[in-house]
Amino acid sequence: MNTTQQAERFTIPIGPQHPALKEPGHFALTVDGEIVTSASVRLGYVHRGIEKAVEERTWVQNLYLLERVCGICSHIHATAYCLGVEQLAGVTAPPRAQAIREVVAELERIHSHMLWFGVAAHEAGFDTLFMYSWRDRETVMNLLEGLTGNRVNYSANVLGGVKFDIDSAQADAILSGLDFLEKRTHHYLDVVSTDLVFLRRTRGIGVMTRQQAEVLGAVGPTARASGVERDIRVEAPYAGYSEYPVSIVMDTTGDLEARFEVRIKELFESYRVIRRILRDTLPPGDLTTRVPRRIKENETVIRVEAPRGELFYFMKSNGTDMPERIRVRTPTICNMTSVIRLTVGHQLADVPMILVGIDPCFSCNDRTAVIQDSCGNRQHWTWEKLRQYGIEFYR
Amino acid sequence: MNTEATLHLATKMVSEWATETQVSEPNRVDGLMATSEDLLNAVMMLRVKRLGYLAAITGIDLGLEAGEFEVLYHFCAGPVVITLRIRTPRETPSVPSLSHYIPSAEPFERELSEMFGVAVVGIPNPERLYLPDDWPEGVYPLRKDFERSALNEERDHEYDTTG
Repeated sequence: MNTTQQAERFTIPIGPQHPALKEPGHFALTVDGEIVTSASVRLGYVHRGIEKAVEERTWVQNLYLLERVCGICSHIHATAYCLGVEQLAGVTAPPRAQAIREVVAELERIHSHMLWFGVAAHEAGFDTLFMYSWRDRETVMNLLEGLTGNRVNYSANVLGGVKFDIDSAQADAILSGLDFLEKRTHHYLDVVSTDLVFLRRTRGIGVMTRQQAEVLGAVGPTARASGVERDIRVEAPYAGYSEYPVSIVMDTTGDLEARFEVRIKELFESYRVIRRILRDTLPPGDLTTRVPRRIKENETVIRVEAPRGELFYFMKSNGTDMPERIRVRTPTICNMTSVIRLTVGHQLADVPMILVGIDPCFSCNDRTAVIQDSCGNRQHWTWEKLRQYGIEFYR
Repeated sequence: MNTEATLHLATKMVSEWATETQVSEPNRVDGLMATSEDLLNAVMMLRVKRLGYLAAITGIDLGLEAGEFEVLYHFCAGPVVITLRIRTPRETPSVPSLSHYIPSAEPFERELSEMFGVAVVGIPNPERLYLPDDWPEGVYPLRKDFERSALNEERDHEYDTTG
């Protein structure tokens, strides 16, 4: 582990292990007493070379590969890829397929936000809230399983459409599940905006101004909590979003509390739009359209809104049945590099909450270490210990 | 600003510095830059007019025959995607760093340089971002002529079980 010594300062390496995230990171924090004075990030501990691998597989095979870029937001990766292939081939999936893509995407957003909410509560030392939110998350996991057959990697998309239809029994199950979740979400919004103990960990912590968010290129709920109007579903509607729009959820304070509120309020938008699609007007028609096996030379850019923010795909075809180049830019890289700068000037005890505030799935990190160089004493801290330190600090 | 107005403004700005400008898709402006200076000028202009943010940098290996790499800078402004592209020879590939003007460019540039071996001139932190510390020097995985054997030789070692 790389440790550097500056005059009277300690460098604290955090990471790199967090198996739940596709991008485990190693963070090196330099501290002066309790205050963080600089921070840097090193990624790639589970770099699997997917961008290279797609160049050696066919368009159809790549669907299954790219869906596995991320375990939490798998559907949105497959959606971005399918939309891209359809664009390159000059075909459009039928409206019914696009609406079903939107339903699954929003269910995925619900499960992802609730997962994050539980993890964030855990990092704050509020384990009751963590257990309640994950219990409630099972509702949406069951809905996704009932709809697609899988709890993760739903495999709802095929090139040119979707694999399955939503019948009325499934729609009813989803609608009643949403009623339960909505009731619970009201409770959670109440907790994060009124619970004084929780607010001490979130209010005024990790503030990112609108200008910082713009300059540092933050995306998704992290940017929206700082007042940046950036939501691809609204700006450049894809799949079913022009037919069934969502409205943008914003906040202006830019602190951790705002990031909590934006994500929780987004859940209400997801409930509303899923209800609208399922109750009124799932458009009639086919589920798929034909996509050619070979795709002519072409290139395109696809942007979609993953639960964590803008997901960017650049795709280039070369006339064969394999892609020439696919570039995947995930939202976490944008937010990771912007938020890591926000830790500067904060208490060491705030670091877990600031990092978890961008939703990088930090909970499984267990190789944190504090190494004290100046006296020659080496001291290793696990992530668990740093988390506990943060909780004790605010007790 | 609506899509047409953004597209119009972007086309005007890009064509000032590009040798070739085209609207390749209904929401995309694409400009080919001849030199590093033109690229930097175009980037500065987008920054000054506050048009879009840097969404990604894509490297493409155009192949041994073409003998060039292409580097694409994607800026997003609402629904419009502005792509500035520049070509650089395979023998001595290099592009200028945007990190001084756009701090968020740094991780993309680090990725570009480790994956393609394109030198990013003036980058504040040239260290690797994704590839492991023991990755062999001079092996760039996203190049089309990347050979896996180069990797196996270097990395097939006995694990040290003593420590």
